[in-house]
Amino acid sequence: MDIRSHVSMVFHLDKCIGCHTCSVACKNIWTDRKGTEYMWWNNVETKPGTGYPTQWEDQDKYKGGWEREEDGKIHLRLHGRKKGLSNIFFNPALPTIDDYYEPWTYDYENLFNAPEGDDQPTARAVSMITGKPMDTIEAGPNWDDDLGGSPLYARNDVNLDDLTDDEREQLNELERVVFFYLPRICNHCLNPGCVAACPAGAIYKRGEDGIVLISQEKCRAWRMCISGCPYKKTYYNWASGKSEKCILCYPRLESGQPPACFHSCVGRIRYLGVLLYDADQIEKCASVPDLELVAAQRNMIQDPFDPEVIKCAKANGISDAMIASAQNSPVYKFVKKWQIALPLHAEFRTLPMLYYVPPMLPVLAKTDKDGKYDVAGLDNEGLPAMISSLAKARMPIKYMARMFSAGNVKEVEDVYRKLIAVRIFKRAQKVKDYQQAEVDAALAQGATNPEEVEAIFRLTSLPTYEERFVVPPLGREVAVEAWEKPLERKTEAGFGVRNKIAKRKF
Amino acid sequence: MIEHGKPSSHPRFFSFLLALGIALIFVATLFSVAFAKPSAQVDGEALFIAKGCNACHTIGGGKLVGPDLQGVTELRTNEWLTKWLTAPDQMLQTDPDAKALLVEYNNVPMPNLGLKPEEVAALIAYLGGGATISGATAELPAGDATSGKAYFVGDKRFENGGPHCISCHSVAGIGSLGGGNLGPDLTTSGFVQSDAAFASFMGAPSTQTMGAIWANTPLTPQEQSDLYTFLSRAAVTKREPSALLQIALLAIAGAAALIALAQVYWGKRLRGVRKPMIEQTLAARKRINAK
Ligand code: SF4
Ligand code: SF4
Repeated sequence: MDIRSHVSMVFHLDKCIGCHTCSVACKNIWTDRKGTEYMWWNNVETKPGTGYPTQWEDQDKYKGGWEREEDGKIHLRLHGRKKGLSNIFFNPALPTIDDYYEPWTYDYENLFNAPEGDDQPTARAVSMITGKPMDTIEAGPNWDDDLGGSPLYARNDVNLDDLTDDEREQLNELERVVFFYLPRICNHCLNPGCVAACPAGAIYKRGEDGIVLISQEKCRAWRMCISGCPYKKTYYNWASGKSEKCILCYPRLESGQPPACFHSCVGRIRYLGVLLYDADQIEKCASVPDLELVAAQRNMIQDPFDPEVIKCAKANGISDAMIASAQNSPVYKFVKKWQIALPLHAEFRTLPMLYYVPPMLPVLAKTDKDGKYDVAGLDNEGLPAMISSLAKARMPIKYMARMFSAGNVKEVEDVYRKLIAVRIFKRAQKVKDYQQAEVDAALAQGATNPEEVEAIFRLTSLPTYEERFVVPPLGREVAVEAWEKPLERKTEAGFGVRNKIAKRKF
Repeated sequence: MIEHGKPSSHPRFFSFLLALGIALIFVATLFSVAFAKPSAQVDGEALFIAKGCNACHTIGGGKLVGPDLQGVTELRTNEWLTKWLTAPDQMLQTDPDAKALLVEYNNVPMPNLGLKPEEVAALIAYLGGGATISGATAELPAGDATSGKAYFVGDKRFENGGPHCISCHSVAGIGSLGGGNLGPDLTTSGFVQSDAAFASFMGAPSTQTMGAIWANTPLTPQEQSDLYTFLSRAAVTKREPSALLQIALLAIAGAAALIALAQVYWGKRLRGVRKPMIEQTLAARKRINAK
């Protein structure tokens, strides 16, 4: 066993209200510089929808992530060695700026300086790339925000491809609208496509916490990582000529704070903590057939209380404080103990370390011929209908499986059964309108028990700051004081190259 | 992570080598100065022939490639001649008389022969001495233009292993792409306008570049003759316009072929996702509405 530690994440989608506070927090700190205006290291998408960049999940187009051969080996979808070399000066799978969006601002000055005239002055939109006025703005990073039923965007969500017409109709059942939010950041994968695709060897994963970073000194602008990452979470800065990505706010982590998007999250959907995993299993896990991916990935994560695991961790130089942090980790609970958090698009085979608790299926209802809502009389496998039904979910289970379990319907159903059990249990406790028999049936179907349900409820609904963010003691900021004065850099800000890149010296 | 500028050990090692090298050169120079023989009186006529001056010039025998040098010491000052013989290439850039001469003699420049000061003095003394000398006479066997062309373009090897002309020179009549650009284009070169001049030049090339190349791998008389026959036939005052057109067409066709190849190789490249998606969806909706 080669035990390593990884700062990992859980997003509880039930709680996301789609406010984009996280995106704005991130933008204000990291991507308000020239060349980065179009980047949203954190973005929030409406699902069903096409996301940002448009249809990023369609790897037939973008060629991101890994592909499994028939012999069980995996290779980068983008290219192997030969093709990589022949494409080195021209990567044919790059998104265009239009697929992200052309960033713009407004000519606010005109509101003050316009000469007197018959009409109110206006602030025209101005491109932040060319500086020229933009007459029509056609796209934005969350252009299809809340357009759950839109025939232009929602219909083109690639996750809907496998659905039958009936299942698609389910989406339209109530007011023709259904959607949930999907906040996304870099997943800091265990088998990252971005790292594998980089010809310059500029991308690396930090040993102690697994954060994936692009060295601004080594990046040579080949832009293969842009295609290699199936989540499109590396971005090319056209002003500096280097690629950039989410750094999981490591300077904040090093001083004991959670990343800015986590800290600012209004819905408190974000959890951060350490996972211990077995690095020997990475290749094997990334190569199993689609339907086994989620289970294999869960298998890699090791129990931080197991003495054997602790021994191996220590042999690898993982500190006691780090192990204690892993034992406290909310991520470990969601992902491994309760098994209700799943990786996004496991079929890309990058082994993402950001897990999602899928959103509750929206209340099941139909409108009758008078336009009234009708929730009664729906079959829900013997459970009260009001909460939800797996069979007739408005967000079809197949759709959820395509997103969160590489198509394995059973994985997602198991998660939902447990989540439904939690709701029925708590409702029976508080509102007291369910029979004990119904509660017992729900607990049995969800393969859970009252203690577990209470624990899930507590960490979902009432967690404290310290329970949500168990930041391990990285202590670099403290350690660095030994040879550097941290405050000296206090007046400098931003991203980029600290050491001037000079010609190689003798 | 903050990286610390660790002083590398390389600069020290490098400067040590440098110092050692300079010291060695210094010592060697001292020795050569101390033990240099006082130079014997340089023989002007021998020098005139050895440096190949008579490939282009006579004294009292009329113009060849360059002017007849009889009475040149009266025409030009000693100072001018010294400058000219030492660095004709520089004079050609600055001196109006030198420029006029260049035009008069078909733009064949006087090459820089790399003469030492005492050699220059000897030559001027010789030129002022009233001696006469005729141009080098050709003693070349009959040449074959086809074989000359083969030597030029590299189809046939030179006996002594010299490089093929095409690697540095171009000439009309070897195909549209021509040859190298490093040396002058031989199509209009004055050196191929008389067999004597050519043979004498190629026998002991006096320019620095050619001299260095051919000193150890000289051409045989037969090779010289074949090359001369080919080159003098090719020698025309100017390239044919059709040849220039050919080059232009070839360049355009080449570029078009490369673009076509790239189109085929990268034909399936990603040409944007959002715009096509919107267009297709709107078109599909229109079709449905029309029904
Ligand atoms: S999600 Fe992050 S770590 Fe994973 S491939 Fe993309 S950029 Fe790399
Ligand atoms: S801040 Fe939190 S609740 Fe708001 S959009 Fe981001 S993840 Fe969702």
